[in-house]
Amino acid sequence: MDPIAALLILVCVIVGGLLASLGVHMIPVGGAPAAMGTATGIATGTVQLMFGAALTGLFTASTVATFFETPSPLALVLVALSGAVGAMLMLSFTMLFANMLYVFGAGVVPVSGRVEVDPITKEPQTPYKTPQTDGHGVPNVSYISGWIGAFLGGFGGALMYFVLKNYAFPASLFAELGAADAEMVSAAAAGIAAAGIFVANAILSAYNIGGTIEGFHDPKFKRLPKALISCAVVSALCGLCIIIATWGLSGGGGV
Amino acid sequence: MPLEVLFGLLLLIAFLAFVACFFEDAESDTGSQSNPNSQVQLAAQVGYVHRFFNKAISGEPLSNCMYSTTACTVAWVLLRQFEPMFPAGEQWKAAILAIPLGVLAGEILHLIFATTAHLGRTAGQSRFQQPLYLDVFYGHLIPIITHGFMTTFCITCIAYLQANLGTLSGIPELNHPFPLPLLGFIWGITVGSIGSSTGDIHYGTEREFQDRPFGEGKRVVYHGMITRYADCGIRTQKDIVGFCIKYGCPLTGMTFGMIILFENWRTVLGMLGGGYLTTNLTVNSAAGAAAAAIGIAIGLIIGIALIFGNLYLVRWARKRYGPFVGE
Amino acid sequence: MTVPTAPVEEEEAKPKKGWPPTETGLGIIAVILGIIMTILPFLPSFVKAIGLTFVLVWGADSVRKTSRYGLGTGVPSIGVLAVGYGVIGAIAGMGIANVGGDFTIGGVEVLNVGVLGGVALAALIGYISGIFSNSEKFISMKIPGLERGMTELGVAGTLAFLLESSMVAGTLKLSAVLEDVFFSGAIAFMFILSALAMFHPFNACLGPDEDRGRTLLVSFEISGLICIILGIVSIALRGSQSLGLADAVGLILYGIVVWVVFYAKFVRRAFEGAYEVVGTGLIKTVK
Repeated sequence: MDPIAALLILVCVIVGGLLASLGVHMIPVGGAPAAMGTATGIATGTVQLMFGAALTGLFTASTVATFFETPSPLALVLVALSGAVGAMLMLSFTMLFANMLYVFGAGVVPVSGRVEVDPITKEPQTPYKTPQTDGHGVPNVSYISGWIGAFLGGFGGALMYFVLKNYAFPASLFAELGAADAEMVSAAAAGIAAAGIFVANAILSAYNIGGTIEGFHDPKFKRLPKALISCAVVSALCGLCIIIATWGLSGGGGV
Repeated sequence: MPLEVLFGLLLLIAFLAFVACFFEDAESDTGSQSNPNSQVQLAAQVGYVHRFFNKAISGEPLSNCMYSTTACTVAWVLLRQFEPMFPAGEQWKAAILAIPLGVLAGEILHLIFATTAHLGRTAGQSRFQQPLYLDVFYGHLIPIITHGFMTTFCITCIAYLQANLGTLSGIPELNHPFPLPLLGFIWGITVGSIGSSTGDIHYGTEREFQDRPFGEGKRVVYHGMITRYADCGIRTQKDIVGFCIKYGCPLTGMTFGMIILFENWRTVLGMLGGGYLTTNLTVNSAAGAAAAAIGIAIGLIIGIALIFGNLYLVRWARKRYGPFVGE
Repeated sequence: MTVPTAPVEEEEAKPKKGWPPTETGLGIIAVILGIIMTILPFLPSFVKAIGLTFVLVWGADSVRKTSRYGLGTGVPSIGVLAVGYGVIGAIAGMGIANVGGDFTIGGVEVLNVGVLGGVALAALIGYISGIFSNSEKFISMKIPGLERGMTELGVAGTLAFLLESSMVAGTLKLSAVLEDVFFSGAIAFMFILSALAMFHPFNACLGPDEDRGRTLLVSFEISGLICIILGIVSIALRGSQSLGLADAVGLILYGIVVWVVFYAKFVRRAFEGAYEVVGTGLIKTVK
């Protein structure tokens, strides 16, 4: 198989994994305590939220990928950006409506528990926070952090999907099924493989932050480089597995 | 002609999305699941024996993914068997029987997992003197699967419509490239994560601690001491879902509905604006690139508008509620 | 009511036939059965399903072993990690087999050892991610046995995917599996339900009085459910590579029998294990 294609797969899988890890560190997740208004962030699990956002982006990215038959740098950028925007929209709506529930359903002001003053809007946080809690809601800095984090995570997921679809499992390998069915096999294989690699990176990053984080202003964010290295190595190994699979699928010609 | 049908289908998908997430949150309240369920688990450990249904099937994203993927897989099988019985062009009629049967299979799995979760968790807490109330156990099973049926049914319909969007609207290239179960997988996880992020707040912060003051986050010292008495008698999930359905569920439904609406709508709008739809969908043309770019641009505009929306909401809350009063 | 301390009980409470086996014993049984069933793709589906059952039970046991020390971010994550590595390892393994290690007689694939390369790769990825997760310089979860746990989960996930794919497609040739399993989207079903089969048992039975024997029964019954649905899927695909209608019906029957037996066992043991089982009653507050 083509060494350029193999290198491209490896590089894009690593980049996708790193973006997934960075995204996980930026989205504000409060875990179970956030559902009780005891912690700042979205009240769900880190991995599951990131996975949900990335899959929403992947849905749009796969539609956009059908606009381009031959891969080109422009196609790659457009597909990845579509995925990014899709993930970003999903998380933005989720965070906004979660805030509406906090404000009107529970009667609390969205504030952060980690900083005295919001780094972006310079609003004081502590006077509005319930004592003996760790903040509640999704304050502005966490919102923007989540916006960027979902954008990056969706970008990484869609990037991996595009590369896997066009270089690792191209429809030309299944040509005996007919054009439409070959497309579907190619898309499904790329989708599941991208999802598998993405979720592995997200889980390792979630272990790094211990399950909850408020965003880039949280002190836990400084642990990012450790997760990035781990995710890079694991993604590289996963990329290697994909290359082996493609090499095997195309009959094992010379590399 | 096909464009009207196309946009009509997009509206239908958005409406189904609203209903799906509405009932997802209702279902996660009927069988206490995910984050607020940690309080139900904790309650017995702090000595608060309760009559709640402790349905601990992982988080909502993964469990909803399971129901919808199973439903879509069985529906896919049935569609493959039934579609040859109809002439081409009327094959959507096969879906009328296939989808409900598929969803039924998914919900039977849901029922089994719910029973093992409640039994397992209650048996694992025997040292805290938490009994297994058989009326709680049996009485909540049907409400759980009926609410779940609505969620899974809507998700399966969305997946079916998206997988067959082109066939139904007359532009075959618009069919989504992913197979039906994979679409169910994607939307199951998304619906679960939205329901878990938004609706659970109403259940966890407000309803579970109903006897604490409104207007404050629930302090760590309150954890585990949930409200166990209802308006009359002892509270069960049936009292909870009736409360949360008035605010938490519609808001959750609106979240997913708007996400789906804007996702599908901006893609199709991009295709229209770039001239991709009207020039017979020639791939690799500049029209395709323009279609993608327009879709991205619309998405970014909406995203930035949402940031301002949040800025405004937080500022309004700060001004209206003021700093925290009291201890 | 006094409850005996859990760790001593589970080693001693063996009702019959030395059940449940020790953690390492279960691992050896599962790996041997799993590998035998994987490398012989011509076996009927319900025989392969026995291997699948043990692999999933082993995965659940591994999740339980790792999560008991407080995984923090939740039990479901590590189950999804297993199938994430599993799907990559399975695809890689089938790719290796496509080039060599695959022997067919008369059009029926009789031996396929190439896929074990994928199993080894997934084990490697699991081990390395375990090292990164536990090491002080990196993620430092400090959970004893996390490296072994993640390695086991990588292997269990890969074997589970390979067995499920070979049950549905009847063969482990990559092109056939891609056309059957991926085209139908059954891979999505396998992904999520294998993950659930591995982490739901411990998550559902979480509590101080959790009992290993009872927890593993849940994994058996989930594997029965998987077999029923995969049997239904292979009925639809019987026109392609699978071994015919009788094979699929056999798989469904296996699934039903396994599910009924183990579900009934679990419910009975849960009723026995609960503090008390009452029809209805009032509540109390224990000080």
